[in-house]
This record gives sequence, C-alpha cells and structure tokens, in this order.
Amino acid sequence: MANANKNIDIHDEENYDPTVWVPKVHSHGTSDIWKRFWILLGLTIVDVAFYFMMAPGMLRNFIFIVLGIVKAWFIVGTFMHMKHEKKSLAMMIILPMILIIFFIYWMLFEGAFWGTFKI
Amino acid sequence: MSTQTITKSKMWGGGNSPFKVSYGKLMMWIFLLSDAFTFSSLLVGYGAIRYSFPSTPQEQIEGLGLKFGEDVQAKFADGAAAHGEHAEHAEHFIPALREAGVFTELQWPSPDLVFNHFPFAHGLHLPLIFVSLMTLILILSSVTMVLGVEAGQRMDQKGVAKWLFWTIVGGFAFLSCQAWEWTNFITAGATPWANPYGPPTFAALFFLVTGFHGFHVFSGVVLNVITYLNVRKGTYEERGHYEMVEKVGLYWHFVDLVWVFVFTFFYLI
Repeated sequence: MANANKNIDIHDEENYDPTVWVPKVHSHGTSDIWKRFWILLGLTIVDVAFYFMMAPGMLRNFIFIVLGIVKAWFIVGTFMHMKHEKKSLAMMIILPMILIIFFIYWMLFEGAFWGTFKI
Repeated sequence: MSTQTITKSKMWGGGNSPFKVSYGKLMMWIFLLSDAFTFSSLLVGYGAIRYSFPSTPQEQIEGLGLKFGEDVQAKFADGAAAHGEHAEHAEHFIPALREAGVFTELQWPSPDLVFNHFPFAHGLHLPLIFVSLMTLILILSSVTMVLGVEAGQRMDQKGVAKWLFWTIVGGFAFLSCQAWEWTNFITAGATPWANPYGPPTFAALFFLVTGFHGFHVFSGVVLNVITYLNVRKGTYEERGHYEMVEKVGLYWHFVDLVWVFVFTFFYLI
C-alpha cells in the first residue's frame, strides 16, 4: 500500500526509512481477545473470593501476587500483542521487570528492619 | 535482493528494523519500560514502608463483629449519640474505631476497614466491592481498546471509531470512580500528611500511587480522544495504516496493567 503523500512503499524493507516504515500487520481475530477477557474476569473473581473466604496471611498474599502476575502475563501477551512480537523485543522488556520483582521482595525485609527502629 | 537472507551482522548493521517494529512503536515500548520502573519504585517504597508497620491484628478486626453489608454508622452511633452528635451523616465509625485502638498511628490499617464504601449505600460495610467494580471497568475498557486495534488491522475505520469511543467512555467511568473514592477518603479527613485511619504515610502513599495512576488514566483518555478524532477525520486511512491506534493502545493497556498491581498491593494485601 503506497503512502499517498510520499509515494513510496511504507512496508519496503529494502528501502528502510525509519520515519515512515511500518511492518505489514494482519488481524489475529477477536476470539483470542474475548477468551482472555473471560480469563481476566475469572481471575479477578477468584481474587475477590480468596479475599472473603481466606484469613489474611503470607499464603493469601502470595496467592494474590501470583494471580497478579498471571493477569499481567495475559494483558502483556495478548492485549499488548507481545506474543506476536520478536523474541528479542519481548526479552528486552520482560527481563528487567523480572529483576524488579526480586527488588520488591528484598525491600520488604528492609522495611521490616526499619520497623525495629520505632519505639 | 529480496530473496537474500538477512544475516545477523546485517540485522544489527543499520538500515532496517531488527525488532521488526516501527520506530514509534519501539519507542512506545521503551517509554513503557521506563514508566514501569517509575511505578515499580513507588511499589518498592510502598512495600518497604508497609512492612515497617505491624498489621492490624486479626483478633482485633474479628472482635468488631462486622458483617458484610451491615450499617456500620448505625452500629457505632450509640456511643457517639451520647456525646450529642445527631447529624444523620455524622461519622461514627472512625471515632469509635480510634477509641477502640483499631485505628492508631502504630499499626497499618486493614483495607477491609478503610475501603468499605459504595455509592448510594452510605454507612454500609461493603469492603472491596467498589474497587472490584473499578477493576472490571478498566478490564472492559482494555478489551474495547484491543478490539479497536484489531479493527485497525483490518482497516475498518468505522470499527476503530466505535471501539475507541467505548474505550473513552470506560476511561471516564474509571476516573469518576476514582474521584468518588478520593472524595470519600478526603471527607473522612485524609490528606497527604494526616490520616484518621492510621499512619499518615498510608494516606500519603495512597494519594501518591493512585494519583499517579489516575493521572496516567487521564493522559490515556486525552490520547484516546485525539486518536478518535483523527480516526473520524480519516488521518490514518490516508496514512495507509492504523498503527497510531496500536501505540495508544499499548499505553492504555499499560495503565490497566499498573492497576492490576495497585489493586493487588493496596486493596487485597
């Protein structure tokens, strides 16, 4: 499909112009989207169910965090189209975030230590 | 030339897109990664400060004997009425729990006792229900956004306009819910430096994190409106592709993604 203004092929990889080049896209259909919606809705309902039916504690917190990561996986994978991107792009985005999870976890211990300073 | 395989050195040698995405979309991903770092720093700070306080003991919460859907204002009104408070909408719940030592600066308040309001159900104990509704609104608006992106891939101008419109409606609905939530919290006496429910840092972190997220939602709605007008004008039809909808969509899904974690860390844990 030629660009009306510049009259060049915006999908041409041999004449790569970063200001206009875009890859050709095709639809993956809507069934996958709706499936993920029902999964996300179901996981949120599971969250609420655990909230009311289980006593607070480390195990419940752990379940909530795992469910949160699963939800994030579906949002990034399907809604943000990550599973159809190149592996190198996906790794560039996902790997740093995995390290952040550890950072949050470690800082909880640091916070608990600050608590011991209080009177 | 076109049949030649792209070798690894050529792939990273310039003159093409190694990630096979446009410049704009790659930059959107990198911006979102940096934005994810910003939100992570807020969550790291929240987690550390949260764990420097003890939780509200479970026996203390159970000792209150609150039932789901119960009118907590009426339940705690007796004691306050004796002190001469008769106003229909006077706050009885917070003073009673402060007196009982449940809400104190020394322990982190249970979200169960703080976020238990629902519109048009004044005084009723309905924990988590309102935020669950907000989560549902945001997930739904994420779905309408991705349906708009899908319509754009088929060059379906009417479809993109329709789905973007519903995404904007969802965005406004979420922002309205958040405004109501903030109003409630502020009316109760919470500010970034004061908090009737417990440590002032709780209120400060609540305003900081939900405010930062809400501002992202607001920016997303503005971007969606601009894109919607451009779709109606035929800008992307003329350009030959709807990638702008995809890029704005990435931002919108990111906002939804952040909410998943705000919901988890602020309201569930």
